[in-house]
Amino acid sequence: MTSPSPVLYDYILSPSCYKARLMAALAGVRLALRPVDFHPGVEHRGPELLALNPAGSIPILVAPDADGDLILTESAAILVYLASKAAPAFLGSGKPAESARIQQWLAFSARLTASLGGARLHEMLHRPGDLAGLRASGIAALRELEAALFEQRLKGEAFLVGNRPTVADIACFPYVALAPDGGVSLDAYPSIRLWMRAVRALEGFIEMPGIHRLHELKPDPHEAPATAEA
Amino acid sequence: MSRDAMIDEWYPVGLLSQLLPEGRETLLMGETIRVSLGADGRAKVATTAGHPLPVTERYGHVWSSLGQPARPLFDIPEAEHPGRRLVDVGVVRVRCSPLRAVENFLDIAHFPFVHTDILGAEPHTEVESYKVEIREEADEVWATQVKFYQPQAAKSASGGITTEYMYRVPAPTCSVLYKTCPPRPGEWDVITLFVQPLTEELCDVWPWMALYDDDTPMTDLIHFQQMIFLQDRSILENQIPRRLPLDPGMEIPTRADLTSVAYRRWLKRHGFTYGAQLVAQ
Amino acid sequence: MMPLESALVWTPVALSADLPAASVIPARLADAALAVWRAQDGTVSAVADRCPHRGMRLSHGFVRGEALSCIYHGWRYGKSGRCLAIPAHPALTPPETIRVATYRAAERDGIVWVTASQEAGAVPAHDGFLGLRSVTVAASPARLAASLGGTLDGSVIDGTIGGVTARLLLASSGEEGVLLVHLLIASGAADAGKIAASRALEGLRRQAETATITGEAA
Repeated sequence: MTSPSPVLYDYILSPSCYKARLMAALAGVRLALRPVDFHPGVEHRGPELLALNPAGSIPILVAPDADGDLILTESAAILVYLASKAAPAFLGSGKPAESARIQQWLAFSARLTASLGGARLHEMLHRPGDLAGLRASGIAALRELEAALFEQRLKGEAFLVGNRPTVADIACFPYVALAPDGGVSLDAYPSIRLWMRAVRALEGFIEMPGIHRLHELKPDPHEAPATAEA
Repeated sequence: MSRDAMIDEWYPVGLLSQLLPEGRETLLMGETIRVSLGADGRAKVATTAGHPLPVTERYGHVWSSLGQPARPLFDIPEAEHPGRRLVDVGVVRVRCSPLRAVENFLDIAHFPFVHTDILGAEPHTEVESYKVEIREEADEVWATQVKFYQPQAAKSASGGITTEYMYRVPAPTCSVLYKTCPPRPGEWDVITLFVQPLTEELCDVWPWMALYDDDTPMTDLIHFQQMIFLQDRSILENQIPRRLPLDPGMEIPTRADLTSVAYRRWLKRHGFTYGAQLVAQ
Repeated sequence: MMPLESALVWTPVALSADLPAASVIPARLADAALAVWRAQDGTVSAVADRCPHRGMRLSHGFVRGEALSCIYHGWRYGKSGRCLAIPAHPALTPPETIRVATYRAAERDGIVWVTASQEAGAVPAHDGFLGLRSVTVAASPARLAASLGGTLDGSVIDGTIGGVTARLLLASSGEEGVLLVHLLIASGAADAGKIAASRALEGLRRQAETATITGEAA
């Protein structure tokens, strides 16, 4: 008998919820989505969701577990849980340095959420905030990421930790890819651009609004073969 | 360019369901205004100097104007039919001309590339001929018999179908889309784009819907429409120039763009140029 | 020393390694926004970053085979800039008049060069160097040269970075007060030298930008 799907309290425009959806898609985990009226309804601050997560944030993952329901409210923890269940390769090889570097990026991703995510909420949904300060810390984080990804390229590695994707990439990708939503340009980061392309080209990758399909992965459907002409 | 001709029009400035007694400040064509809930339970709109502005409450939104509207807000008769679910989608801010936001809403040819596998998909990219007219009596732009292949036409649609649309522009920054409604053949769903011009290059977009759909949870309906609009946002913020060019020559339309051509012509005829670029730069 | 006249007409816009086959990137000349793209066959082309249909930036588009497509409506452009296909009208051969403005593009020493001039001579040579990284720096050329302790000649700074012989090529980022800087290092440098140079470049940027903010004399 298969156990019921984990329930994700989800908002389509939330990059943090998207992390969970993306990880599940890449890992082949079926999620039961429970849409939350974040905007305009502010449902995440209502009694039902506050009972699950007093911090009033989403995503929330409720997963059936041997000891009762497991409730996770931190996106990094959700990624680790989904990967552990269904795609352990996303947790790296388990070598001490590798595991530690993954943890380093999971923690780093919180800075992306605060800075680039804060600028995005301000620009898109009118959330208050010091826009110049948010953008400046976002740019500082992007520069660190760019330098690290450049060194990865020198090693012939396309992802943050090694030559295959880990939860580190999934944790960092959404807020970086959506930085322009908050008015932070990605033009100046060639290594980030190549890394984003590698993530978007992954088997099973799914988009969220603001991240377009990599149409180049499919041939042009109207490029008629020469033989079809006559 | 100029806000003169557009100043007497109605614009959306807030959701009726979200009015607060203390009010909130917003911009309308460069002016700071305050939108609040009066003691009588009605919406109030005023300049920061306290000068009251006209108010209409309709289609889930508060409407106001910096000038003196000569006529009431346009009608959407279908939206008042009983049995429809009225959906406040909320607001999204976009760094683009309010006119560009409307024009994008009138366009179907981008569906396969921007709303991939939802509103359109390759190889079904062809836009068949449709009818466009400026209805003189109502003074509105109409496009009818618009058909396009959709892999997932709406939340309630499963599988690909050919969807039919009618587009209507009753005001310079508003458009109403009528779309075939899978659960109710013969009826049209109503999906609107109400755009609040904050400045000529910045707008708040308030989508709103009146649908025949008794099954889909309200939040799913909201998410679907927000998803669609947010896929457009990164396009709208990267069009050059930011303002809508009204002079022919700056951009190249094809037959698929006849609605946009009529919309631009109608704007120009009325001098609706707030958010437009008249001379190629 | 590179010939100055060619430096004036050829602009280094990106590193070859940052533009893989079948991809497009945004780039700048001082007075123009560009979409620079590499076809599947390796050819690099540069066009104005604006689709003539509805003004969308072509650098947001995609490359299939030997053509660049706009992300908005999929209009497809060939290397000559001519519009090859309009997906909304699959049976139509677009008139020849529909085209996007093109620029000359060339590659040398691992750098992509672009010019708006038809008369531009040979692409500048930086023999013995190879492009390593491109970054933006919010500082003036003089400030950057002073921070490096290098010599500034036009849009080129020579010096040593992270113990490696280095050359910085300066170009417009499109943003006021911000330089696009391509770091070139000796072409035979080992990976350890490349990492040292890359990290030193981060330090150089911090130093030049801090000095700019505090108003320290260049």
